[in-house]
Amino acid sequence: MKKQSKPKLAFFDFTDCEGCQLQFANMGETLLELLDLVDIVSFREIMSESAEDYDIAFIEGSITTDNDVLRVKKIREKAKILVALGSCAAIGGVNGVKNRSSLDAAKAIVYGDKGRAINSIKAMPVKEVVHVDYTINGCPVYLPEVVSVVKCLLMGKPYIVPDYPVCVECKMNENVCRYEKDQECMGTVTRAGCNSWCINNGNRCYGCRGLLDNPAAEAQKDILNKYGLKIEDVLKHFTLYNDSMGEKYDQEFK
Amino acid sequence: MKYATLQKTNLNDWLEYLKKKAKLYAPRKKEGHFVFRPVKEVEDVCLEYIPTILPPKKYYFPQKERLFKFSAQPFKTAKAIDTFDEFILFGVHTCDIAGIQCMDVVFRDGPEDPNYLNRKDKMAIIGIECLKYCDKHANCVSMGNHIPRGGYDLMMIDIGDKFIIHINSEKGEKLVKGVDFIKESTEKEMIDLERVREEKKKIFKEEFYAPLSRIYDSFDKSFNSEVWKDVGKRCVGCGNCTAVCPTCYCFDVADEMELNLNDGVRYRIWNSCQMDDFARVAGGEDFRKGRDSRQRHRYYRKFKYPVDKFNRYFCTGCGRCTRTCMAGISLIDTVNALAPVAIE
Repeated sequence: MKKQSKPKLAFFDFTDCEGCQLQFANMGETLLELLDLVDIVSFREIMSESAEDYDIAFIEGSITTDNDVLRVKKIREKAKILVALGSCAAIGGVNGVKNRSSLDAAKAIVYGDKGRAINSIKAMPVKEVVHVDYTINGCPVYLPEVVSVVKCLLMGKPYIVPDYPVCVECKMNENVCRYEKDQECMGTVTRAGCNSWCINNGNRCYGCRGLLDNPAAEAQKDILNKYGLKIEDVLKHFTLYNDSMGEKYDQEFK
Repeated sequence: MKYATLQKTNLNDWLEYLKKKAKLYAPRKKEGHFVFRPVKEVEDVCLEYIPTILPPKKYYFPQKERLFKFSAQPFKTAKAIDTFDEFILFGVHTCDIAGIQCMDVVFRDGPEDPNYLNRKDKMAIIGIECLKYCDKHANCVSMGNHIPRGGYDLMMIDIGDKFIIHINSEKGEKLVKGVDFIKESTEKEMIDLERVREEKKKIFKEEFYAPLSRIYDSFDKSFNSEVWKDVGKRCVGCGNCTAVCPTCYCFDVADEMELNLNDGVRYRIWNSCQMDDFARVAGGEDFRKGRDSRQRHRYYRKFKYPVDKFNRYFCTGCGRCTRTCMAGISLIDTVNALAPVAIE
C-alpha cells in the first residue's frame, strides 16, 4: 500500500482558557503515536512554528467578537474537517454567563468605563457560526474521548456524542450517588461521554458537557426538592456552562 | 458430607484458604454502601451487608467486555470464545443467586452465549442466607427468594457463633473438604439451624398485597394504566434501575480501533431500555417514546414477558432499583398500585 501523506492538523484558540489544548498537549505517549498518523502544523502551546496550510482545524473557545466570526469563517473555508474542542467551542461554556445580562452591562462589569471601546457580541458555540464536523464536549476535554474522536475523523466515521446522562457511566463505575451523600449533582441531565470523570474522583457533575437533548427537567426539579436542595441555587451552578444554551435552558428549567 | 460447620473464629482462615484457591470476590464497605470487590485483606470482607450498589453480575456479565480482536489488513478475526480463570463469589445473598439463575436461563437459551457460559463455568458461588431484612425496599419474600433455592455451590447460615454450610455441589465440596477447621455438622447444630429458620419466619412477610399469580394477571390488564403515567413523570431517565438490576442483560455491540487504525476490538457494553434512543430505529421511528412507556417496559420485563417466555419472574426482590432511584420510584409501591388487593 502506498504511504499517503499525513493529514495536517492545526489548533486555533478563541475565547477560552486554553485548558483543552493543554489537555491535548499533556496526552503523553499517545500523542507520539498520534504523530504517526497526523502532522501538527500549528499548536501555539507546544511549538513556535505555525502554518497556513492545514486539513483539520481544532477550534477551541467560544465566539464572542465580530473578529472571531470573521476568523472562524476563514478557518472553515480552508479546513476540510473542523472540530469543536471543549465546552466553550461545543456549547459556549463558561463564556455564556455574559449572555445573561445586556452586552453593555457585561462590558461595564469587566472593563468599567472603557467598556464602550470594546467590541463584544453574545457568546456563541462554534456551530452557531460555521458548520462543525466533530464535537468534543467537556471542560476540560476527556482525553480518551479526544482519542476516540481523532480515530473517527481519520477513518471518516461520524462520532456520536452520547445522548444519555452521566449517571449511566457513573453507575457502571459503581460510584456512590452524590445525592445519597446529600450533595447536588448535574449528572442526571448532563450528556455522558466523560466516563463520570469528576464523580470517580470525588467531585460532583457540573454539567460541563451540556444538557441532554431531552432532559427530564420536571423530574430533576422533583429530585432536587426531595433532597432538600434549593432549585434556584442549584440551577445557578448549572448555568455555569449552559447559559449560552439560553433558549433551551429556559424552556426546560424556567 | 451434606452440611458442614465453620466456627466464626475460623472465618478469616477459610477466606485466606479460598484466596489461594482462586480469585476471590466478596462484599466490602464503600462510603456507607457496599460493593463486591476482589479480596485483598480478608478483614475487609463484610458479611452483614445490604445489597451492593451493583450486583455481582459485573463478574459474569461485565459492564464492558471484549468479544474478539480483529485486523483490517490483512483481514483477520480471532476466535470469539475467550477462556477465563477460576473465581469465587463469596457471601452472595439468595436474591442475587436468583439473579444468576435468571441470567443462566437467558444466556443458555439458543444461541448460547459462550462468553457468559465460559465465565459461569469457572465460577463458584458461596452464598449467605439473610436472617433479617436488609431494608424496607426488599421484596424477596413475595418473589420467593428470601430462602436458598439452589443455584449455589455452598450456602452459609449464621447460627450464632458458627456458620452451617450447606454443600450443594462437587465444586463446593472441594472448597470445604480437607480444611481441618471445617467439620461435618452435628445433630445439635442441625437443630439449631431449624430454630434459626423458625425465627426467620417471624420476621419475613409478603411485601406485595397480592400473590404473584394475581400480580401477573394485573400486568395483563394494566398496559394503559395511569400508574405508568405517574411513574413516567417522576422518572429522570438516568438508567440506574437497569444498571443495578441483577437480571437486566441488554447490551450493545461496538468496535474500537487501536491508534494504528488497522487492529481493533469488538466489545459489548451494558445498554438500557431506559435510554432515549433504545427503541429508536432507522427512519427515526421510536417504539417507546416516553419515559412512561420505558418504565412500563422495565416492569413488564420483570413480571410479564419472562414469565410467558421462561416461566420465571425476573424480579429477584433485591430492592436495588428502588434504593438507587433518585426520584423515589418504588417497585413495591408500583406493583401494589397495579394489584391493590388480593381478591381470591
